[in-house]
Amino acid sequence: MGMTYIPSTLSEALHLRAETGARPLAGGTDMMVQSKRGIGLAPEFPYPVMIISGLEELRGITKHEDGSVEIGALASPAEIAASDIVPWHVRMAAAGMGAVALRNSATIGGNIGNASPKGDLPQPLILLDADVILVSLRGETKMKLDDFILGSKKTALKDDEIIRSVIIPPHEFTYSFYRKIGMRRANAISKLSLSAAAVVRDGEILDFRAASGASGPKVIRSYSAEAIIRGRRVEDIPEVLDGFLEAWNAAISPHAMPQYRRNTTRRMLSHFLSSIHDGAEAGIIS
Amino acid sequence: MPLTGIDDRVVRVDAAAKARGEARYVCDYTFPDMLYAYMVRSSIPRGTIDSISIPKLPDGYYFISAADIPPEGKNELWMIQKDWRCFAEGDVRYVGETIGLLVGPDRNILKYLLDHVDIKYTEGIPAVSIDDGIACKGGAIVGEDNVLCQLYVEKGKPMSEVFAEADSIYEETLETGFQEHVHLETNAAIVTEEDGKYAIYASAQCPFYIRKSVAGLLGIPQEDIIIRQTTTGGAFGGKEHFPDVLCGPLLVAEHRIHKPIKLVFDREEDMLYSVKRHPSKVTYRTALDKDGNILGIEGLVYYNCGAYLSASYVVLQRGVFHANGVYDFPNTYVKGIGIATNTFPSDAFRGFGAPQTLFAIETHLDHIARKFGFDPAEYKARYFIKQGGETITNGHIVERVMLPEMMKQVVDASGYEEKIRKYPIGSGRGIGISFYNHGGAFTGNGEQAIIKAHARLVKTGGRVRIEVGSTEMGQGFQTALRKIAAVVLGIPIEDVDYDNPDTSLVCDSGPTAASRSTMIVGKIVERCAAEMKERWAEGDFSVEKEYEHPEGHPWDQSTFRGDAYLGYGWGCAAVEVEADKLTNEIHVTGIWSSHDIGHAIDELIVHGQVNGGIAQSIGYASMEKMENRNGYFRQSSMSDYVVPTSMEFPKQEWFLVENPYEWGPFGAKGMGELVFNGADAAYIDAVERALGITVHRIPMPPEDIEEALGNGQ
Repeated sequence: MGMTYIPSTLSEALHLRAETGARPLAGGTDMMVQSKRGIGLAPEFPYPVMIISGLEELRGITKHEDGSVEIGALASPAEIAASDIVPWHVRMAAAGMGAVALRNSATIGGNIGNASPKGDLPQPLILLDADVILVSLRGETKMKLDDFILGSKKTALKDDEIIRSVIIPPHEFTYSFYRKIGMRRANAISKLSLSAAAVVRDGEILDFRAASGASGPKVIRSYSAEAIIRGRRVEDIPEVLDGFLEAWNAAISPHAMPQYRRNTTRRMLSHFLSSIHDGAEAGIIS
Repeated sequence: MPLTGIDDRVVRVDAAAKARGEARYVCDYTFPDMLYAYMVRSSIPRGTIDSISIPKLPDGYYFISAADIPPEGKNELWMIQKDWRCFAEGDVRYVGETIGLLVGPDRNILKYLLDHVDIKYTEGIPAVSIDDGIACKGGAIVGEDNVLCQLYVEKGKPMSEVFAEADSIYEETLETGFQEHVHLETNAAIVTEEDGKYAIYASAQCPFYIRKSVAGLLGIPQEDIIIRQTTTGGAFGGKEHFPDVLCGPLLVAEHRIHKPIKLVFDREEDMLYSVKRHPSKVTYRTALDKDGNILGIEGLVYYNCGAYLSASYVVLQRGVFHANGVYDFPNTYVKGIGIATNTFPSDAFRGFGAPQTLFAIETHLDHIARKFGFDPAEYKARYFIKQGGETITNGHIVERVMLPEMMKQVVDASGYEEKIRKYPIGSGRGIGISFYNHGGAFTGNGEQAIIKAHARLVKTGGRVRIEVGSTEMGQGFQTALRKIAAVVLGIPIEDVDYDNPDTSLVCDSGPTAASRSTMIVGKIVERCAAEMKERWAEGDFSVEKEYEHPEGHPWDQSTFRGDAYLGYGWGCAAVEVEADKLTNEIHVTGIWSSHDIGHAIDELIVHGQVNGGIAQSIGYASMEKMENRNGYFRQSSMSDYVVPTSMEFPKQEWFLVENPYEWGPFGAKGMGELVFNGADAAYIDAVERALGITVHRIPMPPEDIEEALGNGQ
């Protein structure tokens, strides 16, 4: 069983991290459950842990001058869902996480760091090309979240680094889609989720992107599949739709995707693109 | 204080303490020098035990196993039979079978010891499904054919004659899955010694059952063990016999250690290593004339009982007795077989065997109706049994049957007629309807021959104490029973006491099961109260009475002929759904129900039972999937075995019909199980209509709906 530390400043936390390798614990909604030992026994971690929930430096949600939004690692899903500066896809995902108690305790840093394929927040963040800011005594590193999450429960976080924040670049979509499918309507772990977005101007699809959650070891974006749609005219969608759906299907991990998830993903993507083709009003496609 | 009227809505007597967190559950109890126990369980579904290696135990720590049962005791728990072993010995028959208990003062050390127990097995090939059991996969577990129990009932002509006359035969097989109780409070018990007797504090439905079940382990009289029910946070049948499986090993440990010992399951243990609802496989062969009229039905009912009998024979009987639904078919032959498998023994669960066959018959009739172009509701209504009608067991329906009135209420309120026109088959929307019943109390003359319930009222000054073994488990019985006594006595409900039972102080009023408490125990209390009221001026005294069986209702338990039940609760439910075309998720958009429970003792409690029973039933049909692969349950937490939340279903519209029952208190019949028995079939009917699919099994989560849609194409 490892030591438990409670740093009071980010600098102290970075020293602890560098010297002991202690893992950051904030809301504990994943780590406490993973290490539970039954009734009457405190969870036991086989590694040192530092409780970082008191670090003010990791709090807050800010909009920068360039329009990007920075979300501190300690921001809870409840805060994110209630923020009017956080992009819609991310707010939707945050609002649909677990139950109220979990949404008040969990953090975006933990949801990313845990790197569960079923995690709710990475999916829309990867759709939006979000960056993650990692901090250590050596300084700050910025990298694409899509590169940071390597696979199921695997990240590129180095032994001396802490997740400081997530930065979402500005965007203005003409059409947006988000759907999480859980085992029930509330308090459910995701068994499938999908985000999609498109920018359409004068009949031309300037941007198109999609992200599948709970579909493989990590969130799936297929830039090559997206490229099949991007740059096309809206009226050409029927022509390229099947090719795109095939390409997306091929991008989905073959093992983790039983027929239901595969077909449902296909139907949702097809629905989103067909709605654009059929001249849906700009905004959210439901 | 104001007097209480039977139709007054009262605040539940247990509500405030539970809402404030003041109620004490087993987990909240501690005693001086209390030790903790952990179960050492089988990690394989079937095999022989070659060796058990326990790490060196520090002072004050114990490993308790079958070897600790004294010579005068036997390694058996007495439920219906005595086949369930307290401790596995020599071989194991299911994953989670109790092998021993680790007992000691520090849970950290116990956990370490538990993690270092090493048991070597020679593994056998497990039989897991009903088909495995029938095929005797891996060799028979029980007898030569794995048949744990069986029975048949017949009515009318021999089926060979009926089939010979038939124009066609509609045959199909319907299956239901495991269901986990998910009582909020997990299983738990504490054993100790008080004044030279063993005392067990347990979260339980049936304190007297525990006493009977475990006394033989030490070869002592039942009276030498006191069972004290602690406030019980839900049960649903999961604490009817299963507490025996905790209390038995605890009693053996106490016999050796003589200190208070506490055993509390965590949620994962409670999901993986506790009893479940019996999975079923029901095949109907229905003889039809050319117009689709039913000439007769032959049914073959299989229940997956797991490795031991527990209550399965009685569950199976109830399944068979409800296999013709609420209908009067001219000819029926139904055979029931309980199959042994290497799964955790299946046991009591709200409905007690009736929900499986009721789902099957309702869905079967839907399919026949649709084949012949009839509306299922109209088709089923032709066969509604009536007062005096012959039951499947050659008995008769005693009470007036109000199904036509109930159907009208539900059809009118739901707009059924309009909706079946508005939503064509496969349109994505659908409304379904079902009819169901539940025989109240024990089968046949069981109340008279087996249980012989007693109840006692004790008057002290102006206060009256109820002394019965019946338990509150969240269903509202402490309120209902106090209300019955208070109203008859003409005193405020606040002046009636009714504590959690202690078997050394109260009468054995029988198990809190079978929807019998209000109907049977309530009636005895009503009779006690009537006498007490007459003698009120006598000062302090008590009145005790025994159950009285209504005359003129023959029953032969050896042939299962006669009046299987003296009164039924009746139900009708309609469920409306909308299917999401993208995801095949089913949204329930309306629920309507009507129930005949005789007369409601407390409408608020009844409302809670109706809402909860229907939600649990639709959960059973839709999302509650408990899989067992190779003997191991796959779902171990409340996030992978999901039960409905308040977000799933809309507000329910519900009705009761007034049909006072002659032998129930204030005309009340049983209702706790009835309200679970039918909404599943209405939901599946609605899903079938919305999507144009034919369903043969529940639960049906979206993945299975996807598959059914694929198969249909």
